Amino acid sequence: MILLTIVILAALVFLSRYLFLEPRLPLRLSVKGERFLHFSAPAVLTAIAAPVVLLPDRTGVDRPELWLAWDNPYLLAAVFCVVIVRLTGNVLLTTVLGMSGFVLLSQMVLV
Amino acid sequence: MSPLTVAVLPWGVLVGSLAIDAGFTLWESQAMSAILFAGAAQLVVIGMLSSGAGLLALLITVFFITSRHLLYSVSMRRRISPLPLRWRLALGFLLTDELFAFCSSMAGCSEKKSSEKPTASETNFDRWFVLGAGLSFYMVWNLATLAGILLGNHFPQMGAWGLEFAVAATFIAIVVPQVTGWPVAVSVIVALLLSVILHLNSVSGALALAALGGMCAGFITEQLLDKQRPAGTADRFAETASEEPTP
Repeated sequence: MILLTIVILAALVFLSRYLFLEPRLPLRLSVKGERFLHFSAPAVLTAIAAPVVLLPDRTGVDRPELWLAWDNPYLLAAVFCVVIVRLTGNVLLTTVLGMSGFVLLSQMVLV
Repeated sequence: MSPLTVAVLPWGVLVGSLAIDAGFTLWESQAMSAILFAGAAQLVVIGMLSSGAGLLALLITVFFITSRHLLYSVSMRRRISPLPLRWRLALGFLLTDELFAFCSSMAGCSEKKSSEKPTASETNFDRWFVLGAGLSFYMVWNLATLAGILLGNHFPQMGAWGLEFAVAATFIAIVVPQVTGWPVAVSVIVALLLSVILHLNSVSGALALAALGGMCAGFITEQLLDKQRPAGTADRFAETASEEPTP
């Protein structure tokens, strides 16, 4: 039963990924439409990252809550990531250093 | 190796351990990563299934979470829809947040160099390269899930480790270099604010709505800046090519 549910949900997820890749779907994008879509990557990726950093799940808190404080390890590590990628331009290095910084902050510094 | 593979790893471990935590069997937990292959949706499905939610509620919730993929498929339409069916199916199945981010960071690099040739962005799309990236995410995602399933039994409190920060770190590293002017900056700021406000109010489809809001803001900013600029100095090929064939 659980497996069947997973398969049905997977069909829905696949459909959302595939829908506009289908050439028979009548849709032609204008130049303006293309310009609009240029903003999809920065906008979506920011929308995904923002709540992870600013509304992290905290033990003892049920509803999402804004954590805008100097002792939020997610926020500090995120600022750290911005600085490293500005300085180096290296995505892999930023990811690894950012994660290490986060672990250091959350497990040792700000406990 | 793509930096995104590094980000997929802890996130996959988290999904595996949470599934075991919620009382799913090894096979069900692994099947979720193998068939569904969608991090955010999996987390919600795990939570809802273990609290006994019905299929309709699950479908509606997953639809809202997964609606951002519609944006990805529109954005990739020009490059993927001319490909044969088996390529479309494969790349469609693999079109996750990470693969979209991967393609956008590739396109970002090629666009600066090839601003004089309108067709360059199409030829720069290497289907094998993208398939390889997508498959490597799929493999790492499933291996990480397995690791999470096995580790989850030993470290039941892994959900509190903040493993999801890996995704944020990568996305920050991809987005920040893309902010090369006011339009993208405005788009990012609006998406950030909207995403926080909508998530604070537990709005369904918050991700897709915040993204659309950010895209509108960026697009409008760009249009306004273009109007201010005197005609003929537009620096983007799309406009110079279609409206001013001769200098």
